[in-house]
Amino acid sequence: MAKPNLESRKKILAKLKGKGLVNCFQCMKCTSGCTALKLLELKPNEIVKLVNLGFVDELPNSDIIWTCATCLKCVERCPQKASPYHIIMALRNLAVEKEAKVPEGFLKAVSQILETGLAEPPQKIVTRKMETVDRECLNLPKIRLPKESFQAALMKAMEEK
Amino acid sequence: MAKIGVYVCHCGLNIASVVDVEKVAEYAKTLPNVATAKHYTYMCSELGQKLIQKDIKTHKLDRIVIATCSPRMHEETFRKAVAEAGLNPYLAEIVNLREHVSWPHAHEPEKATEKAKALVRMGVARAQLLEPLEKHKVTVEKRVLVIGGGIAGIQASLDLANAGFKVYLVEKSPSIGGRMAQLDKTFPTLDCSACILTPKMVDVAKHENITLLTNAEVTGVNGFVGNYEVSILKKPRYIDEKKCVGCELCIKVCPVKVPDKFNENLIERRAVYIYSSHAVPKIAVISPEHCLRLKLDKDVCGKCQAACEAKAVDFKQKPEVVNVKVGGIIVAVGSEVFDATRMAELGYGRFKNVISNMEFERISDASGPTGGKIHSPKDGKTPKTIVFIQCVGSRDKRFHEYCCRVGCMVTLKQAILAREKIHENIRIYVCYIDLRAFGKGYDEFYTRAREMDIDFVAGVPSEIHEKADGSLYFDVYDKSTNKLVQINPDLVVLGTGLVPNRDLEKISALLHASRSSDGFLLEAHPKLRPLESAVAGVFLAGACQGPKDIPDTVAQASGAAAKAIDLLSTGEIEIEPLKAVIDKDLCSGCRICESICPFVAIEMKTEKVKGEEKLRAEVIEAVCQGCGACSSACPTSAIKIQQYGNRQILTQVDAGLAEACTEGGK
Amino acid sequence: MKVAVFWGCCIQANQYAYEMSLRETLPKFDIDLVDLRETFCCGDPVKSMNEFAATFLAARILALTHLTGLNNLLVPCNRCHFTISEAQDTIKKNPKIAKKVLGLLKEEGLEYNPNIKVWHTIDLLHDLVGLEKIKNAIKNPLKRVKIASHVGCQIIRYSDLGRVDNAENPKKFDELIAALGAESVEYPEKLDCCGAALNRSHPDSALSLAGSKLKAVQNLNVGGMVVSCPDCQLMFDAKQKEAGTTVGAKLSVPVVYYTQLLGLALGIDQKKLGLHLNQSPAEELVARIHG
Repeated sequence: MAKPNLESRKKILAKLKGKGLVNCFQCMKCTSGCTALKLLELKPNEIVKLVNLGFVDELPNSDIIWTCATCLKCVERCPQKASPYHIIMALRNLAVEKEAKVPEGFLKAVSQILETGLAEPPQKIVTRKMETVDRECLNLPKIRLPKESFQAALMKAMEEK
Repeated sequence: MAKIGVYVCHCGLNIASVVDVEKVAEYAKTLPNVATAKHYTYMCSELGQKLIQKDIKTHKLDRIVIATCSPRMHEETFRKAVAEAGLNPYLAEIVNLREHVSWPHAHEPEKATEKAKALVRMGVARAQLLEPLEKHKVTVEKRVLVIGGGIAGIQASLDLANAGFKVYLVEKSPSIGGRMAQLDKTFPTLDCSACILTPKMVDVAKHENITLLTNAEVTGVNGFVGNYEVSILKKPRYIDEKKCVGCELCIKVCPVKVPDKFNENLIERRAVYIYSSHAVPKIAVISPEHCLRLKLDKDVCGKCQAACEAKAVDFKQKPEVVNVKVGGIIVAVGSEVFDATRMAELGYGRFKNVISNMEFERISDASGPTGGKIHSPKDGKTPKTIVFIQCVGSRDKRFHEYCCRVGCMVTLKQAILAREKIHENIRIYVCYIDLRAFGKGYDEFYTRAREMDIDFVAGVPSEIHEKADGSLYFDVYDKSTNKLVQINPDLVVLGTGLVPNRDLEKISALLHASRSSDGFLLEAHPKLRPLESAVAGVFLAGACQGPKDIPDTVAQASGAAAKAIDLLSTGEIEIEPLKAVIDKDLCSGCRICESICPFVAIEMKTEKVKGEEKLRAEVIEAVCQGCGACSSACPTSAIKIQQYGNRQILTQVDAGLAEACTEGGK
Repeated sequence: MKVAVFWGCCIQANQYAYEMSLRETLPKFDIDLVDLRETFCCGDPVKSMNEFAATFLAARILALTHLTGLNNLLVPCNRCHFTISEAQDTIKKNPKIAKKVLGLLKEEGLEYNPNIKVWHTIDLLHDLVGLEKIKNAIKNPLKRVKIASHVGCQIIRYSDLGRVDNAENPKKFDELIAALGAESVEYPEKLDCCGAALNRSHPDSALSLAGSKLKAVQNLNVGGMVVSCPDCQLMFDAKQKEAGTTVGAKLSVPVVYYTQLLGLALGIDQKKLGLHLNQSPAEELVARIHG
């Protein structure tokens, strides 16, 4: 028998701050049009219902919350102005807080940003004619990296719950 | 010296559980001029009323203060009781100890009791200055205006006419019948809509008590309950009504083709046309914005005039204004259908095979554009897969939050009709969110649909697409099976909901009738007074007050008619005396009161003052609502609201502050 | 007119053609781009880790814009534009978060300006510059070549936030293409997502989404596909071969930035527009236009 955890539900609702989660009446419009449904079996209506009923705890540990393509169709078309996208983002934040499994790609990006400011370093490109070019030889201006205070500020920001 | 009786009601536990009613009654005995003070469980009961009546005789009371629930509940009751004992009913005053004390201050019983005492003190002070007043009678017109000639207007008109009242039925279109005339069959009986409607339409046309004004609109409403003066604009048909026999020869020769609104723009009509196949009256009409001669204002075409053997075409016809006096008005203007182009993702307006439920209705109707054959509009062939999609424009915070109430039943009906009319074994799907079949025979109708192999998908699609070859496809997720169903429909019918008529803004302004937040006309009380607006003498019937089906519409229409009969049947109504009165000696004719009055209840009259002609303000008693705006604005203090004069109000203030708490400002 | 510009990570790390073509074309309409003092991530990947930190990063961009003294900021990337727009909305509506964010900025001596108008390439060109000006500046009209436009997701959704164009019927991008003398075609997959957001967690699915759309576009037999976002370009252009493998199709669709097409129509040299950097067969589209 599944038992709901209303404390976890309260936590998610607090994160959403006014974005109506509770209004969902399971019309299936979001899932019918979900970009990630066919390939990754993401069912936004299910995520919303699970959170609504308090079955939050299983979600941050699952892979399903990382399958959202963030196309925002569900937010645009929901007749009750519920927002599966925002709920999924809140669940991802919860997963990080709980130190659950987070995809490598995100962790790499964040550590790059803390180090250099950008999520990835400037790359060399190989053209169709097999020439290698970079920013400099394309006469593009030098990248202005952030000041020292940036790292500390961002780290402080990342500690906010 | 007044002799005041004070009665403190327990209201069961409603007041007594918070306020110490005994203490309040004891306190009342200490107040000046109070001859007797009592408390009782239910003052409004027969025993409670008898208590007051006995005391009036015994103690020779001439003022009564009843500390009880809101005057909105029992003010009339107590006034009647007091009148029966021989005292003027306006010498009884209600002090509200429930809505003003025990309910809002339920958690502070001590402070509540102190407040109750203060309110009673104020009531007693005011009671001494109450004046005896009389209700006035005003004669009323035993005639009723019905705006809108759909089934609601038709039903109300017939009920009123049969009861002996004269009715003016005004309809904007060239024919009565409204939405119901556009329907093929009605749920849940699958009665032919025209068959049950047209007899009533004919009855209306023939009834000696009904004056039918079609192609007409109400342009002005003045006056007050029982005495409305209404102007009606009869738009020109450009056809002489007395000569036209409805032979349709003119229509055959007209060269101009325009979209036919009655057939939901699925086919075209001519500039001269008869509104519908069952039109009442069956008289042609020319639309001036399409007719070449009228549009260009030149001597061109005129083919209809040449063809008409009855010589009924009259291009020079002018609009006519009809002024009538009526006692009451029933608003029955109906509603419109949601424009599904607003929900762009479903492709309505882009894809020919995506249609609205009204369009399906016209297609299904044997007298409609396809002769009753269900075809895909794109290629005219019989569809192999039909899909109905529910809640288009309804239950949607982007468009209309309410449920349209009829969408599910309309779709069930149309799905069943499709199954019955198409003899091949086609697939019929209904994509729904919640299926609502609430009325008499409605759930049985739903069972019937399921037994006819109509597939119900628990979910609605997000978007519909068209392939390069013109065929439609979409995915829909069914929550019961957790399957993403791919459907390739030949016909998609959108369950578009009912929305407020765009004329409601005009009507609302004309009649001062408010609208609710959903845009429909607002009833006086959602539970107990659903047939009338808050404006005295204006009644509501049908979908203009909220989306509803035919049984509810007919019920409401008959109810509204009964209300109108109730109001007007004695030929006179009583007016409450708590209105503004103007002392003409103090009035300077500045007209500030006239400009401020929200009910247009003040008019300026010319009077001879010391030999000179001067303007003086006068109150139209029957329209005045006693709001007091004029009284407070008058620079010469010439206006008093009966029973709410300056002295009467200020005495209360003084009494209230007499034992003011020194701990102010908490 | 001076307009501040925020490029973001994608454009500066590998989508050079977008920056090149913007820097070449905008001055023709009297728009001078002013770079910010610093460049850093707008917060898009950070959003999934900590939404507050993402709001902070976006606010920091607006604070740096304030330092330039300009009230207009061009953000050419769809995702950056969405992240910054949402941050503006959050700060406006949530005083608690606003206070914390502004406090953090203050510690660096930075001030948040709520009155900055955030533009994207599409509305900057369509609404600020205007179709007439663009039409009048064209030297080489594009000979009615048919184009499949891909406007993207985060630039048109969600409507309540206030986006650059209508979410179900975005016409501005098509009108910009038509202004060049080309023809933007309708096709059922027009509003489908490129899949870029899945690159960090499910890269194969990302490629599959891009590949499906490219396959559909290929079947339209048009001159090429035009995009306005570096993430979309990454998927459809740089990863076209991979996407093709994922969906089992041989893909050969020219995919270019709108500003590259604009540059061609204005008569600007191909190399300056970075057309040699496109991994898809852009030369086929150029040939159709010049040929």
